[in-house]
Amino acid sequence: MILNYIKIAFRTLRKNKGYSFLNIFGLAIGITCASLIFLWVEDELSFNSEFEKQDQVYYVPTHQEYDGEWRTFNSTPGPFAEAMKTEIPGIVRASRTKHRDFLFAVNDNAINSGGRFVDEDFIEIFSLKFVEGNAKDAFKNPEAIVITKATAEQLYGENTKVLGKVLTIDNKDQYLITGVIENFPKNVTFPINWIAPFERWSNDKEWTNEYGSFFADTFVALSPEADFNAVDAQVRYLLEKKTGDSDSKAFLHSIKDWHLRNHFENGKQVGGRIASVRLFTIIALIILLIACINFMNLSTARSEKRANEVGVRKAMGSGRTRLIFQFISEALILAFMATTVSVLLLFILLPQFNLLIEKDLVLGLEKPLHMVFLLGITLVCGIFAGLYPAFYLSSFKPVEVLKGLKVTQGSANYIRKGLVVGQFTISIVFIICTILVYQQLQHIKNRDLGFDKDQLISLNVNGTMIEKFDVIKEDLIHTGAVSSVGLNNSGILNGGNNGSNLTWTGGTNTEDVLIFFRYVSSDFLETAGMEIVEGRGFYENMAKDSASVLITESFAKLMGQGSAIGKKIDRGDVYTVVGVVKDYLFDDMYGQSDPVLFFNYHGEASYMYLKTNPKIGTSDVLSKIEAVMKKHNPAFPFEYSFVDDAFNAKFKSEQLVGKLSQLFALLAILISCLGLFGLAAYTAEQRSKEIGVRKVLGASVAGIVKLLSKDFLILVGLAIVIAIPMAWYVMDNWLGNYAYRIEINWWIFVIAGVVAIVIAMVTVSFQAVKAALANPVDSLKTE
Amino acid sequence: MKNTLLSLNEATRTVNSGSNKVYLLDQINLNVEEGEFISLMGPSGSGKSTLLNCIGMLDHFTDGGYTFLGEPVHSMKEKNRSKLYKEYIGFVFQAYHLIDELTVYENIETPLLYKNVKSSERKAMVADMLDRFNIVGKKDLFPIQLSGGQQQLVGIARALIGQPKLILADEPTGNLNSKQSKDIMELFAELNKEGVTIIQATHSESNAAYGSRIINLLDGKIV
Repeated sequence: MILNYIKIAFRTLRKNKGYSFLNIFGLAIGITCASLIFLWVEDELSFNSEFEKQDQVYYVPTHQEYDGEWRTFNSTPGPFAEAMKTEIPGIVRASRTKHRDFLFAVNDNAINSGGRFVDEDFIEIFSLKFVEGNAKDAFKNPEAIVITKATAEQLYGENTKVLGKVLTIDNKDQYLITGVIENFPKNVTFPINWIAPFERWSNDKEWTNEYGSFFADTFVALSPEADFNAVDAQVRYLLEKKTGDSDSKAFLHSIKDWHLRNHFENGKQVGGRIASVRLFTIIALIILLIACINFMNLSTARSEKRANEVGVRKAMGSGRTRLIFQFISEALILAFMATTVSVLLLFILLPQFNLLIEKDLVLGLEKPLHMVFLLGITLVCGIFAGLYPAFYLSSFKPVEVLKGLKVTQGSANYIRKGLVVGQFTISIVFIICTILVYQQLQHIKNRDLGFDKDQLISLNVNGTMIEKFDVIKEDLIHTGAVSSVGLNNSGILNGGNNGSNLTWTGGTNTEDVLIFFRYVSSDFLETAGMEIVEGRGFYENMAKDSASVLITESFAKLMGQGSAIGKKIDRGDVYTVVGVVKDYLFDDMYGQSDPVLFFNYHGEASYMYLKTNPKIGTSDVLSKIEAVMKKHNPAFPFEYSFVDDAFNAKFKSEQLVGKLSQLFALLAILISCLGLFGLAAYTAEQRSKEIGVRKVLGASVAGIVKLLSKDFLILVGLAIVIAIPMAWYVMDNWLGNYAYRIEINWWIFVIAGVVAIVIAMVTVSFQAVKAALANPVDSLKTE
Repeated sequence: MKNTLLSLNEATRTVNSGSNKVYLLDQINLNVEEGEFISLMGPSGSGKSTLLNCIGMLDHFTDGGYTFLGEPVHSMKEKNRSKLYKEYIGFVFQAYHLIDELTVYENIETPLLYKNVKSSERKAMVADMLDRFNIVGKKDLFPIQLSGGQQQLVGIARALIGQPKLILADEPTGNLNSKQSKDIMELFAELNKEGVTIIQATHSESNAAYGSRIINLLDGKIV
């Protein structure tokens, strides 16, 4: 029996190649989309989940209160890890960590490699597996370093024993390799290539032992039987007790939640990437739904062709159940073929998709979960899409269909029309969302930042760059490729160093506003293109400015009425305000400009900024800069980044949403059009006799095209009417997340509507013209 | 002594057309005995097809009694009715109504599938039937590759495969030329001799003459 169904299904498919193509291809696109999204979601959900003790490992961030509002930071004071371990019973392991980029050099082989200074407990917390050496002895030597297998291979080549080798770091410090560990999992929030004892970094930094400095990333492992809530409560209380301050609270954040749920607002967890994960899961379902709708529509539209078969089978003694079973099996076979096609598509598209989303996803058909997903999606699509056609087709009465009576399609017609409206509604919503997401991104990117991010190169300060700053600067400007050079202790786009303990002429920081501190060289402001609105900039001789500061406009406002110039600021030492800088944006590009206090001191600079000459080509500029840097700082590889790239990278998740919504809008429309195309074809076929009669009676081709297209365009029009408020609601909600946002313009709806109508018209009129041009004799003869 | 195969007692079929009740069949009384070959005659719209469909249980009388092999069809549940006609009735259609996607062999096999006959048994039965109708060579062809006469032959073979007691044929030769018609009618006569009861609807006097009894219908009534 089943064999019979399969046979007839295949023959039906072969006989109606066009129809089969539309159906299988449409469904295949839907399944491909859903699979891509599935792979992405799987990857996102698997972050930090490859550790043995993942359920007991927590990260310890802190909420800190400023200006009546709680902000959340990743850092904790140095002694806090040890305190938690000794004073809170549920916490069995705790480790301070500090991230650093090292320059490893072995012979000519130099690589930059990120890793962490950690406490010994780190090895236990993340169950690190040793390939060489062992966990017990790894940190015995204060000069120890443990590197990953991949790093070892990069430095010494494969199959080399590296235990006991001495590794020179940053061309000055010697480390002893005391262990090699298995590579860290790829999808972690804190990738590391090496670990070394924390004291090696903190020994000469007295402040790391104080509760006043928040700087360490702290991890803890709970005992398996510990009660999370109880431990968390103690952690919160402990930091208050230690600092004697109620405005900073540490808490436990599961490493499994770190990647997806790391947004905090006023001390409350408010989502994060999980929102994108949910959004795209919904989009995947919607696209599948559109594809299934196609299937239903095409199947019921061509019901007349199958009606006869239904009649005969019923007359031969088939019950309705068997027919339903038959049609669902057919749908399943189709769905199965669609899945096969989509696996092929996935092979072709996955590399492009990886480029688009900047990930390294693999199809992994051998993974049981992936097979189950594909099989599941096939079954669900087949059954869901096949159910309605099966019930509809099997309801035909044999007497009527065998007599050759027209099948009355009343209800099916309405349902079909409804489904088309549904499809197009979704497509139009997608179009509108795509336009608005794009607009909003552009809006923010084109926002006046208060500085000029273009032609601005950033170098990490290392080696002798500070000592030799003056010569480096001179040589750089001498090349003609660089017009200005400045130093800064923090990244121009980053939050960085801050505090709130200040007093000034006529007031104190009573509001407890967070002030950001910048230690810059005198020409930094010019290099970054910041504008001095009042007073003067820094002197080149920083000794002359040792008691002078610049402030931004928002800071000036904080200091109250009148010009800020000449006012005193007390931060332990007293400084005089000599200039006011226009507000500029950093850290949160959607938010407001926080107040900044500039000092003329570059002894602790971390970044060097170069303003380049726009008249010289980028590669030329870079090679000239590299030559200078090689000359003065030869021990370090020349590494640079463009500030505008870094700026763009800040919009990664928005950009991802933007790119993907474009992609999915396109696919949704494509699938909808496939369906519409098929429906138009069948309508034209169904009405061929009517068209024949009309032509014999003298109807023009244009008249007939209009007759056939009109019905469909009405449906699309209806879809537009439904889609507009839906899209408005969704996007208004989305834009509500941004303080700096666009308004929704009415013309976007017009554009989306016109696009939908044009696309539908092209799709339908192709069939309509074909039908209208057909010779009426042919259609009338066949009756 | 012949057994009664079916009997109709004031069997009526009405449809509602707007607010009017239209009588397609009006109080038909009919007894059909096993082994009969009945020809239904009458002009178009006289109710021949409706009567056949109702007897064949594809349709149902709206009033009156219908007894088939002693069982009251009119008061039966759909499931039992379906069982009954699957077992005892075969259909032959004017337009053949073969399934285009199935080969000759598979078309003939279909009713057996619905009767859950075992595979080996099915093979034997279909082979017998092909042999008997001399269409073994055509078993792998599709209906579209056959002439009208051949298609109807397959249609009859399909109706017979379930070994029915009754064959209902609605203008079986309506789409055939006279030579083909003659062959088909002779086949019916032969089947009838072997004991199969046949009821056919026809316009043709000469076809009607093959039957053992002619019933004339006009406006849903036997005249």
